[in-house]
Amino acid sequence: MKTILVVDDELGSAEVLSLILEEEGYKAYCAVNGRQALVQARDVVPDLVIVDYMMPLMNGLELSRELRADPKFVDTRIVLNSGLPEAAIREEFDGYDAFLRKPFKVEALLELVERFIGR
Amino acid sequence: MTSSTSDNLPTIERLHSAVPGFDQILGGGLFRTGVYIIQGLPGCGKTILANQICYGHVAEGGSAIYVTLLAESHSRMIQHLSTLSFFDVKAFPDRLAYISAFHDLETEGLKGLMSVLRREMRARKVGVLVLDGLVAASEGATDLDLKKFIHELQSIAVLQDCTVLLLTSGNIHRMAAEHTMVDGLVELEDKLFEARSERSIQVRKFRGAGPLRGKHSMRIDNDGITVFPRIESLYCIAAGDITTSETAVTSGIPSLDALLAIKGVPASSATVVIGSTGTGKTTLGLHFLHASTPEEPGLHLGFFEGRDRLRSKARSMSMALEPLEASGAVELMWQSPGEATVDEIAERLLAAVSRRGVRRLVIDGLSGFLESTVYPERIARFFSCLVNELRNRGVTVLMTLETRDVVSSVISMPWGVSGLVDNLFFLRFVHDEGHVERLLTIIKMRDSDYQAGLRRLRIDSQGMHIAGTYRADGDIIPSAQPVSSPEGPAPSPSK
Repeated sequence: MKTILVVDDELGSAEVLSLILEEEGYKAYCAVNGRQALVQARDVVPDLVIVDYMMPLMNGLELSRELRADPKFVDTRIVLNSGLPEAAIREEFDGYDAFLRKPFKVEALLELVERFIGR
Repeated sequence: MTSSTSDNLPTIERLHSAVPGFDQILGGGLFRTGVYIIQGLPGCGKTILANQICYGHVAEGGSAIYVTLLAESHSRMIQHLSTLSFFDVKAFPDRLAYISAFHDLETEGLKGLMSVLRREMRARKVGVLVLDGLVAASEGATDLDLKKFIHELQSIAVLQDCTVLLLTSGNIHRMAAEHTMVDGLVELEDKLFEARSERSIQVRKFRGAGPLRGKHSMRIDNDGITVFPRIESLYCIAAGDITTSETAVTSGIPSLDALLAIKGVPASSATVVIGSTGTGKTTLGLHFLHASTPEEPGLHLGFFEGRDRLRSKARSMSMALEPLEASGAVELMWQSPGEATVDEIAERLLAAVSRRGVRRLVIDGLSGFLESTVYPERIARFFSCLVNELRNRGVTVLMTLETRDVVSSVISMPWGVSGLVDNLFFLRFVHDEGHVERLLTIIKMRDSDYQAGLRRLRIDSQGMHIAGTYRADGDIIPSAQPVSSPEGPAPSPSK
């Protein structure tokens, strides 16, 4: 079963997303900040990470940089999301695989997930 | 965070909010490193106020963080804020960030929440921290827990040189434990007055300085929040403290000036022209305005007749305003009555006076102010403070006021107008031998003499002029449109 790590400090959003992904047949994990996510990622090595941009402790960009720097996650796809426009974020870091502007439709996310890691 | 000399105690610096009028009601702004509660029911503008302060701080080179508990989602908040002019996407994420601390609060309580706040303040070196959702933080906590939380927050705020805003929709009429601890309490309200709602802001508590007390009106538009301090709290010069001038300012009507001992009204005085509809109040105001020059600029504030109609009316009496507008001698301001608060109108008016160094001001339709207030009991004091401030700035003011029915020689003076007026002219109709005549009576001139009696008034293509003394005993025609006082019937929508 493909594994997905959902990282968002707004835990309610992360939990809802995880439930939807579970219903779609994925194994989903949740984390509320980048640091917690990194610990979990090292444990489960997810196929895909859906990560929010602004979070306490370690933000989405810092987490993405850590993942990209670690060979263990060479096959892990990263979907970054934020309420801010992508242009503002891409200036800082462009090592993610896709960007979703919040609020997004779940179909858009599921399409990306399927494209990146299949079912 | 503080400044000091060897001789003085350190003084705490202020945080400039970038919210127009907000710092003014605080006597200079929030104190840096203070912990403040911003309280009000949902929809009253807490989120916008806090964000505007954050963005203002970021614009000055600082950094800020907005921490939510159980509040609007960050993406939604950003969507809403992005329509406001102060929103700056470049501030993210280094100088401004939105984070949620609800998970920490839920799992570890106030201790967990404090840990996040402490960590974020230090890591990001923020000058402003907003905690949105104090109600969520206080649920399940005892009063003592909450007091300890705020006490700790105050200590960290000082150490980190950070000003903290706690947003809560808690009951504004209940004295809560946290109110006793914080450095200040600002309350926002959006109150309904029949079909009209009016936003207000009140500083209920402010340690270390004397804020402008009472409720001040507030507007939210694409530029965010603007606060309009109550005129009475800003300007309270007694009329007796204003230096009166012996210099005459022409009324713009030579035959009227001829009735006045100094051949005009005293400079920096306030004149009210009172009369029923159609008696010529606006025309007299136009004459006064038309005497403006680039050296002595004039301003016309009208509530009922729009600029084009006013220009057309002036043109029909050989007083074209367009050349005066082009030369900078005259500016026409129009204000829809009831669409702005009296303090907002007064601020616009005073700003326009300062901007052009206005010396002649016509306020056509004082009742427009009455229609713009939801607190009619304020109006007499409001006028008094506004007019005295204008006089203090060297402005000679002429105001028109529509009377109630005039069925006798007794003049009804609504809203305590007599207290603010130096000079009073009364216009009325009489029915005389099959003709309707306009009459002018000079009722009062402060500190200068005048010719009393009834004067015939003519209005023709050359404007208004005095056409001799009236001696007949005609019938006084009642006005068609009565005008209210606060105690009277509803104000007329037209002049």
